[in-house]
Formats: sequence, structure tokens, C-alpha cells
Amino acid sequence: MSTDVMIYASDLSKNFGSFRAVDKINFEVNRGEIVGFLGPNGAGKSTTMRILTCFIAPSSGTARINGHDVFEHPLAVRENLGYLPQRAPLYLEMSVYEYLKFAADLRNLDESTFKKRAKAVVEVAGLAQVLGKEIRQLSHGYRQRVGLAQALIKDPRILILDEPTSDLDPNEKAEFLDYLKQLAKDRTVLLSTHNLKEVETACARAIIVSRGRVVADGSLDEIRGKSGRVRYVVSVQESTDSPYRGTGALPREPEVADLLRSIKGATRVNELPTDDRAHAFELTSERDSDLRADIFRAIADKGWVLLELHRDTQTLEDVFRHLTIGEERRNRQVGGKAEPAAVAQDDEDDEDDDDDDEDEG
Amino acid sequence: MSDKKKEEEEKKKKLAAAAEEDDDDEDDTSDDDDSSDDDEEAASDPKPPVKAASKASKKDEEEDDEEEEEEEDEKPAAAAKAPAPSRGAPPQVRASFAKNLWTITKREFAGYFNSALAYIVISASMVLFGLYFFFYQGGIWQIDRASLGRMFDFVPAWICFLTIPLFTMRAMSEEKRMGTIELLITLPVRDSEVILGKYLGALGVLVVQIALLTFYPLVMFKFPWTMGAFDWGPFWSSIFGLFLMGSAGIAIGMLFSGMTDSQIVSYFATAATLLILFFVGSLVQFVKGWPGEVISFFSFQTRYEPFARGLIDSRAVVYFLSVTVLCLLESFRQLEGRRWR
Repeated sequence: MSTDVMIYASDLSKNFGSFRAVDKINFEVNRGEIVGFLGPNGAGKSTTMRILTCFIAPSSGTARINGHDVFEHPLAVRENLGYLPQRAPLYLEMSVYEYLKFAADLRNLDESTFKKRAKAVVEVAGLAQVLGKEIRQLSHGYRQRVGLAQALIKDPRILILDEPTSDLDPNEKAEFLDYLKQLAKDRTVLLSTHNLKEVETACARAIIVSRGRVVADGSLDEIRGKSGRVRYVVSVQESTDSPYRGTGALPREPEVADLLRSIKGATRVNELPTDDRAHAFELTSERDSDLRADIFRAIADKGWVLLELHRDTQTLEDVFRHLTIGEERRNRQVGGKAEPAAVAQDDEDDEDDDDDDEDEG
Repeated sequence: MSDKKKEEEEKKKKLAAAAEEDDDDEDDTSDDDDSSDDDEEAASDPKPPVKAASKASKKDEEEDDEEEEEEEDEKPAAAAKAPAPSRGAPPQVRASFAKNLWTITKREFAGYFNSALAYIVISASMVLFGLYFFFYQGGIWQIDRASLGRMFDFVPAWICFLTIPLFTMRAMSEEKRMGTIELLITLPVRDSEVILGKYLGALGVLVVQIALLTFYPLVMFKFPWTMGAFDWGPFWSSIFGLFLMGSAGIAIGMLFSGMTDSQIVSYFATAATLLILFFVGSLVQFVKGWPGEVISFFSFQTRYEPFARGLIDSRAVVYFLSVTVLCLLESFRQLEGRRWR
């Protein structure tokens, strides 16, 4: 293992009773990386993070933080970490300053270092105004900032943040992500979120988990390319409300659909919802092809009016949905079928299995 | 600040001196109570706490040990400062057991007084004790002696029923419900520090409550009233007994608090247990033979009685301490168990 691997998880599993929350997760995060940890609700993100922060122990597998095993040296692990749990659970009766002081004391910061760090952290998190306030009086956004501040107070090398931006407003989010990018130059950040935009702004790499497994791990471009498709949006003028400049007859919807289907390389043609002035369609094709010229030609030959044509590679969001939606109903009982491919085909069976197991438990 | 600097310099010297000698005996085990932590200490401490060389020479051994223990508490802190903390590479030295314990205890204790609960419980109890003492069945006037004996018939039961459960109900339950336990435990603290810190915090509040009882004799027999020559002996022993019983009770309360995330459940479980433990002693007169002995063995009331009469019963001391230790160990085990669920 190279020394640059700061977070290392190998075959990490966690069962809660008969429910397998994390199922043999493998990944590594190197120094200087910000990695987005993505997945639908209940995919096992928080559980994984809790294992990494030594809050719970894995059922099997190993994890190392900065070379320290989470199982054997939990204290050493926690010293190296800044952790913000989901929804920032803080002591409500303490003031912001008291809380930071408390966290700093337990992280063994001495008085002068604390003052220095507190200043920096308060500025970063924008807490100057509320420093003396009790945490219970703060809005959720501010609580989250306090949670961030305590995670950063010791200037840790590794940050594990569980949905750190969920309660922030868009401006705060942007600021925070900027800060993270700056911070991550010589540090390591594992950041879980639902918000794919954020991942696209802040992270170069993402790990997508679904149902307790890693379904994608790589740079964002790699992940985007994962589904191997490109998408076209085509709209054709349908009515004569605005001056009609077409040479042919007004197109009807099935005609357009048929025409588009006839284009070589187009795999899926769906109609998109529009008003009655245009027909809009969505096409997909293989990744390496470019059908724009063909589409234009075909429509122009008919004498119709092309209002819009654009091509995009799939967004992260599409990939995310593609990778995770199909798996939603996979069996997650311990000892249940493990192969996602096999399971996808017999969804119905799985549901029955689930019920049975619950009865048994 | 200047004190700290001096300390630091001293420590550096000692460390340098000690480097020449081999550090031999019982060094860093003293502030580690669970064995699993020992290796971490070694792994993460760049400078394992070493014995002060100057002290190691043949001096009074006992004195030596005491001083050392104190120093050990501060040593990791000093070691943290020794390598100049460069930005980005913070020294990875954990605070000592005692320091973390103190931090948590302080927070817990302050937590009680940040909410109205502690004030209300303490002041209401004080008023009630006063009323009971002076007016219930004729009050002190009836017995016509300069003694607070009556008071200590009532106070222990009250403390078991109300004070202790109210003070301990939030200890772990609230953390569990709010999820704050996650943040606390993912800080570099040992589970034992968390349990012990919380315990001492709650015990601290109870000590405040018990200490306030000394106002009664002070006011009645010293100033402004002097109602006679007060016999302080039984009073102090009663207070001591209350403290012992209270520490056992709080340990029991902590245990129940850790079992649930509902404060109400925690309260009633603790109150019921303590009341049963207390009043089961009244059954002794009806139950003969070994069952009676068993009951009197476990009853807080029979254990407490000698203290109220001015007698410090070593068996009772051992009993209360054992209950405390046992419950704390169980709480610790419980907290550790979270990782496996």
C-alpha cells in the first residue's frame, strides 16, 4: 500500500441483523483527492462513513485511515480525521464558541493553537456573528457550519463529511465547495452528497454506491462515459401560429417519430412534452457516433422546419440514475442472491424473498 | 501562560535526560484503563511518556509515584507542543486520559446548569427538606434535640426517587436521541472517558445538592440562630453516606440511561430500581432467615442506616463502591457494544 493512500477500504461489509447495509465495498482515496461519495438514500453511504470514523465496527473487511486500521487503532484513526455526521448533531445547550472549545480540547489543541485555528475556522464557516449564541437558536444551515467548523478545528489531514451541504443555501454551498477545493490540495476529502452538481464542481472523482455496493468508481469523465450513450434533442415546428417557412406540409407527430427512427444509429426515440407549436423528440445513439448531420438532412429533405437540435453526452445525473435505479429492488438480505445482474431479472422473486425473510426474523 | 512555558521547558529537559536512561517500569499503563488502547498509545505517540530521570534516582519511592502520576497527565500535552506544530501536519498526540475526562466532566456539569432542570430540582428539594424537617408531624420541635437525624430519614429516599433519576436520565439517552453521541465518540476519546466523564458530571451535581444540606445546621446552630450545641459527627457521616449511596445510584442511573433513548423511560427505570433497592430494607423485619439476610445485603436503606447514626461502616462503603464500579463497567461495555450492533 503506498503511503499516499489515505482512506483504504477493502471488502468492507456491515450487517444490521439480517440486513446487509454495506456489501463488500472496496475503494481507496489518495492524498489530495476530493472524492464524491454518491448514492441514493439508504445505499450505505453513512454506514460506510461511520465505519471509517470508528463509530461502528465492520462485520467483515478492513479499513485503514492514514495507515491505521479502524479496528485495531480506533483512537489513532480518529485523531487523523475531521468528521461531520449527517445533519450535524451538536449539543444544543452549548454556545458555538463553547462547542468549538470542547471539540478542540478533546482533540488536544493547546490554548494558543486553538485561538489561531478558531479564528481561521470561524472565518471559513462564517460564524463570527453567532459565536456567542446557543446552538439551539441557530438555523440548520448555521448548525451545519458549526459542524464543519468543529471538523476543521484541528486542521485534519483527512475529512469525512456526510452531506455537509444539505442545509446550506446555494451561495453558501458554492463558497464551501470553493473552500474545499483549496483545502484539498494536501488533504483528503470524502464527501457524501445527493447533489450531483456539487460533485461536478468540487470533485474530480466519484464513487457511486447503490444498495451497499460500489457500482462506479473513477474520474467524473469515466463515470459519465459509463453508460456509453449520447443524447439528441430534436424539435420540429408543428403549427403555423408563427410565420411558417417550411416548404413541405406541416408534420404530424407519428411522421416525425417514424422519420427519426429510420435514421441509422438512433436507438431510442421518445417524445418529449411540449406545447402544440412543436414536436420534440429525444434520441439516443452510441457514444462514438454523431447523428446531427443525418438528422438535419432528413428533416430538411422533408421540407420541415428544424427549431432545435443539440447533442450532449450523458450527464452525471443520467449515469447515476442508470446505475442505481435498476438496482433499487435488489435483494439485500444476508445470504441472499449476490449477483446484481441475475437479480435484475427476477425482481418479483426477490420481493417474495424479502417477505419470507422478514417473517423468519 | 508563562507557567505553561516553564512547564514545557522542564519537560524538554526531562525528556532529554530520560532519553539517556532506559525507561523501565510501570510507565504509560497508569492512564490507560482499557487494554485495547495500549497499542495505539505506542503507535501514535512520537514520544512515549518517559520517566523523569531526575526523579528516578533513589528518593522516597511513594512520593515519587504520586508525583509521576500527576506528570503523566500533562506529558502528552507537553509532547504535543515540543515538535513545533507546522501547519498542515498537526502533531498526532492525543490528550491524556485525565485531560479528556476533565473536558467531558466539565461539559456535562455545565450542561446540567445550562438547563433549568438542575436549579429546579435542587431548589425544590431544599424547600421540601426544610418543610419536612420543621413541620412534618411536629417537626424538629417535637423531638427537642439539637439533631438533624430526622432529616436523614427522609433525604435518602427523596434523593433516590427524584434527584438521582432526574440527573442521570439525560446522560446517555439524550445523546442517543439527538445523535450527538456520534460526534462525541468520533472525536479521539476513549469510551471509558465518555462514561466516566458523564458519571462524574452527574455526580458533581449531586454533590452540589448534598453540600447544600450543610446550610441547615449552619443556619440553625451557628448563625444567625444558635439553637443548641450541634453534634457534627453524625451529620458528616450522614453526608458521607449520602454521597456513597448517591454515587452508586448515579451509576445505576447511567446504566439505565444508556439502555434507552427515551429520557422518561430512563427516569422511571432508575427511580423504580432505586426505590426498590431502598425500601426493600423495610421488609427485613418480616422476612426471617437467609432471604432476610439477602435483602438486607442489597438494601440501600440497611446499608445507609449506620451512617445516619454516625457510624462509618466499611462493609457499606465497599458495597456502594462495588455497585458503582459494576454499573460503570456495564455502561462502558454497553457503549462499546454499539459498534457491533
